[in-house]
Amino acid sequence: MRYKISVDTGGTFTDVVVQDDQGRVVIGKSPTTPDRIFEGMRGALSDAASALGITLASLLGDAELLIYGTTRSTNAIVQGTVAKTAFLSTLGFPDILVTREGGKFGPHDFSYDFPKPYVARRHTFEIVERISSEGEVVTPLDEAQARSVVRRLKAEGFEAAAVSFLWSIANPVHEKRMGEILAEEAPEIAVSFSHILVPIVREYRRASTTAIDASIKPLMQNHLRGMQSDLRAAGFKGNVFVSTSAGGCTYVDDIVEKPIHTVKSGPAMAPVAGRAFAAMEKLGSDVIICDTGGTTFDVGLVRDGELKYTRETWLGGQWMGHLMAMASVDVRSVGAGGGSIAWIDEGGLLRVGPMSAGSVPGPVCYGQGGDKPTVTDAALVLGYIDPDYFLGGRMKLDMAGARQAVGTLAKELGAEVEKTAHAILNVANEHMINAIQDITVAEGFNPAEAVLVAGGGAAGLSIVPIARELGVKTVLVPRTAAALSASGMQFSDIVFEESGNRVTVSGRFDSAGVNAVLEEIDGRLTRAFNELTVAEGAETRREYTVEARYLTQVWELDATLPVDRFHSDADVEQMVESFHRAHERVFAVRDETGQVECLNWRGRMTVQLASREMAREAPRAAESRVAAERTSYFGEGAVSVPIYRGDELAIDQDIAGPAIIEEPTTTLVIYPGSTARLTAGGNYVIQL
Amino acid sequence: MDASAKPAAEKEIDPMLLSIMANRVDGIVREMTNTLLRASRSAVIASARDMSCAIVTGDNELLATAEGLPVHIFGSHLQTISMQKLHPDLAPGDAFLHNDPYMGNTHPADHTILVPVFVDGEHMFTVCAKSHQADTGNATPTTYTPYAKDVYEEGGLIFPCVRVQRDYKMIDDIVRMCRRRIRVPDQWYGDFLAAIGSARVGERRLIEFCRKYGKDKVRSYIAQWIDYTENRTIQAIKKMPKATIKHSGAHDPLPGLPEGVPINCSIEIDPEEARIEIDLRDNIDCLDNGFNVCEACAINNSIAGIMNCLDPDIPRCHGVFRRVTVLLRDGAVVGRTKFPHSASIATTNVGDRLVNLTQSALAQLGDGYGLAEGGVGMGAGWAVVSGKDFRQDGEPYINQLFVGGNGGPASPTADGWLTYGIPVAAGLIYRDSVELVEVKHPLHMKSVRLHPGTCAPGKFRGGPGAELIYGPKRDPMTVAIPCDGQVFPPKGVNGGHDSPGARTFKVKRDGSEERLPGVAQVTLEPGEWLRGIDNSGGGYGKPVERDPRRVLHDVAEKWETVERAREVYGVVLEEDESPLGYAIDEAATATLRQSMAAG
Repeated sequence: MRYKISVDTGGTFTDVVVQDDQGRVVIGKSPTTPDRIFEGMRGALSDAASALGITLASLLGDAELLIYGTTRSTNAIVQGTVAKTAFLSTLGFPDILVTREGGKFGPHDFSYDFPKPYVARRHTFEIVERISSEGEVVTPLDEAQARSVVRRLKAEGFEAAAVSFLWSIANPVHEKRMGEILAEEAPEIAVSFSHILVPIVREYRRASTTAIDASIKPLMQNHLRGMQSDLRAAGFKGNVFVSTSAGGCTYVDDIVEKPIHTVKSGPAMAPVAGRAFAAMEKLGSDVIICDTGGTTFDVGLVRDGELKYTRETWLGGQWMGHLMAMASVDVRSVGAGGGSIAWIDEGGLLRVGPMSAGSVPGPVCYGQGGDKPTVTDAALVLGYIDPDYFLGGRMKLDMAGARQAVGTLAKELGAEVEKTAHAILNVANEHMINAIQDITVAEGFNPAEAVLVAGGGAAGLSIVPIARELGVKTVLVPRTAAALSASGMQFSDIVFEESGNRVTVSGRFDSAGVNAVLEEIDGRLTRAFNELTVAEGAETRREYTVEARYLTQVWELDATLPVDRFHSDADVEQMVESFHRAHERVFAVRDETGQVECLNWRGRMTVQLASREMAREAPRAAESRVAAERTSYFGEGAVSVPIYRGDELAIDQDIAGPAIIEEPTTTLVIYPGSTARLTAGGNYVIQL
Repeated sequence: MDASAKPAAEKEIDPMLLSIMANRVDGIVREMTNTLLRASRSAVIASARDMSCAIVTGDNELLATAEGLPVHIFGSHLQTISMQKLHPDLAPGDAFLHNDPYMGNTHPADHTILVPVFVDGEHMFTVCAKSHQADTGNATPTTYTPYAKDVYEEGGLIFPCVRVQRDYKMIDDIVRMCRRRIRVPDQWYGDFLAAIGSARVGERRLIEFCRKYGKDKVRSYIAQWIDYTENRTIQAIKKMPKATIKHSGAHDPLPGLPEGVPINCSIEIDPEEARIEIDLRDNIDCLDNGFNVCEACAINNSIAGIMNCLDPDIPRCHGVFRRVTVLLRDGAVVGRTKFPHSASIATTNVGDRLVNLTQSALAQLGDGYGLAEGGVGMGAGWAVVSGKDFRQDGEPYINQLFVGGNGGPASPTADGWLTYGIPVAAGLIYRDSVELVEVKHPLHMKSVRLHPGTCAPGKFRGGPGAELIYGPKRDPMTVAIPCDGQVFPPKGVNGGHDSPGARTFKVKRDGSEERLPGVAQVTLEPGEWLRGIDNSGGGYGKPVERDPRRVLHDVAEKWETVERAREVYGVVLEEDESPLGYAIDEAATATLRQSMAAG
């Protein structure tokens, strides 16, 4: 037997998904051990091995591939435990990371301070140099000054440096020379260069991305190399890949050079999983993916089978946090989850969040000291969760405590406890509906024509009313819903992405210049491919996109290039048409007379690594069995609802709501008017 | 309940549904905003975000505004009132262009598209999409004409709520007029389409909303939501002390106005009745220039200053107007601008001063109330640049930059916001990228840096201003700078210091500098530079009461110096090996602060 392992080390739990060459899939789970990541990984792997009925040693010995996803970098950034990092900027522009790009929440809110820069001002060093927007050297690099700065970095114990000069993308000569000086004087300092990492126009985005990358380089190098050698020592002989924020995976050796691609790589995998499951169940190629955690709700999008990418990923919140501008799978997060706290404001309105009880102390019903009513408490009061079968019975929930907490609000509102609990769920749903609308609307995407894939432990509690509100007709809850990101890695491909910059306008299109950029991109993709040792004979695909806009517009849109080089006016016209279509889709208008201004060019190579199928379920009982009955509330008074256990359901048999299906790691609430069925693939399809 | 409240709707909806419906309507405004922002052409809209959307009820009460600019949104209902008055034949498919400051718009550069939303023949809502145009056909190539003596000299096209669509079809006559008179017509037309698209998106969504809930519930929601907002406002006012505050301010001197433009307000706070009344009637008459603040801006900006000091969670909707009222006078410089006086720069300049006036007035109530004055003046970083671009075969260019920016006002709990801009923008506006500025215009930026030592000290300090230096690459470049705050810098409150003030210089080829007046227009030859220093916001509270750890951090981060920490803040710092590089000498600080407080 050969195994393929994916590991998702979250902040709290490490999830493992193992698939054998028959397509059989098991999940393993264990607490994450931040000090030595392999300990927690070993726990989860053992869990999975025992589910397969084999030893850990034989699982590791027979595994040919392990895909590793980690929140290590994300956590380090959020907690500020990154390397001591210097920001080297062009003389005259020391505050690029301080001022960012403006914008603020709350027009009348002056109660909070301006956020701190990613790299402190006192760690920012201006280098005497300047390139013009046309790529000419305006001020030559002052080598002596540059060298003295580097010596100072060395003396002051800096561990990393981000080099991001103005217009290095038009002419990288100064960034390159700075790199040589750094290598000569202080080879121990980890360095990132903006013109290599993220060659795009807009200095803040480039500098911020470069600074984040440099700051996590030392720790991610240690972390990944350590994990790799621990795996080897434990008997693993296969290939190790690391999952990336582009929704693919790549070699450890590659990622340690650009560790920023591991940031938010976990959430990026959920859309990959959603796309695969939707395809497996033949539910189409337009997919909305929702992943519900304890404190956040993530939304992603797949259109025509393609992941949606963004160059605007905020760490720590839009405007308040720090921007990463490399193309990443677009996943929008809102602070909403089972732990969100319900409260009543001064005007008597019921509100849910943004405060959260998190996992500690957690909801009142966890009995760990939480005393404020949360969304999970409301779901318990409504009878959606079995207090004795939470996490497969591993945790007993305190129903009385939940009722009392929700009851306090009910008294203030003058409503019944159940009605209040129902309202809490509905108000909480609003945040998620908004998040889904924000991403779909911004893309001109009609939710009614898509399938919604729901993942995360709390996915099944509210997904039906959310989908209904959006006009979605079909919801898919994969059997591995509780570990959606780890499942996504099972389907991920090796993805290489390169980009280059050449500003040109369709009316006076610089074919030669653009072709040179594309040539350069292709060269780098080919080199990366040639270094691959696995996936021989695998299917590969190259796609090219341009970030463009109508001349005088400010924000770019991605348009797919219909050609890989520009040889004639007809090729340019095709590109222009592709842009018109993208603009019309997103903004509902096209400007036939408008010129198209092209800024950044991208190439992406995908090497298919995974089979996109999972095994069918073993034959089951012919009839689904009702395991129990429970009193539940759906807004209109109490009803007795049949409870099913997932492993006692017949394949392809419709279960009409109201009903509740319980799985060890998730619960599906089938609301009145909807029906659910277990497919032969082991997934749940809910029709609304 | 207030007498002006409408009769109770037939069926009350519960607070849970109220919350859900309000959230849905807010989502509609955000979708409109996103459409307008992303599809617009001109930098002033798409880059600076100088635009706002709002939903007004069929009976002209402001309902939802999302994250619209304060200066734009409180007056939207004035525009819908004029739409109903002028067009008794309103019908589905109509759209109106409104930029008339004598009839509820903010200033002529703000083109507003109004679309009445009908459900089953009933006019339920009006959606408003407002955006600052790059050009509106003024006599000179700028949307700010400070010295136009009247609307004729200003010269732009005024649309007093003119129909531009009927039956969802464009009335091409109007479009042709605009294309003839507005510079860079394609840019204008793109922005015009974006605004219409935005309004139509709002219309579509509101109709779906009414279909889903039924008109009765929607009516109940409207009534209850406005009541809810009113209740929140009542709660906030009841926490304030009873007071009548008189306060004055002034815009910098202008040609013919050596004392500047004085502005006065009297604010009456009545916590028992839960009312705030802002009286702006005691002000001078309209001026023969473009600085007049029209009705919409006078209401917007004086209320914005008050809202800046109330619970920021209170939704901006008609319920606020039931409790916070503004008294205006016909023909006053801040009031109902008398035609044909120009209100060309009504939204900024004197308008900015009005926001500062009311928010700093409330600081007279004592520590914990009000705000300092925010940084004012559209200086070098917000100038309008124009000329010919050698890289584009000499094609002309004109645009407003958004690179620099003033610091924000200190508050009772926080330091001033760093990318504040001006009071009417309140930090919502985006900054241009230096690289994009250099691609779009043939100019070279030499430096953009926050100016150390500009933060006005206080228990909480003002946000620092920026220093910018830029000049043309090859051909001469004209720069129009409608600045303020160079003679009368933003003031601190309750012991907080004032900003050191904004300054603009022309740097000649020999390196010598010539100080320019606040409102200036210069042509720079290649080799010449413009250097501007923006304002800090004012400080709040006494500097000697500032948390010494904040002072330490400011010194470590080079906002302040060790010397000023000692002299202004009474904090004694010593260099050490810690990550911040300094430690607080607690004993010396205590002694020094004591003697400073005494002396």
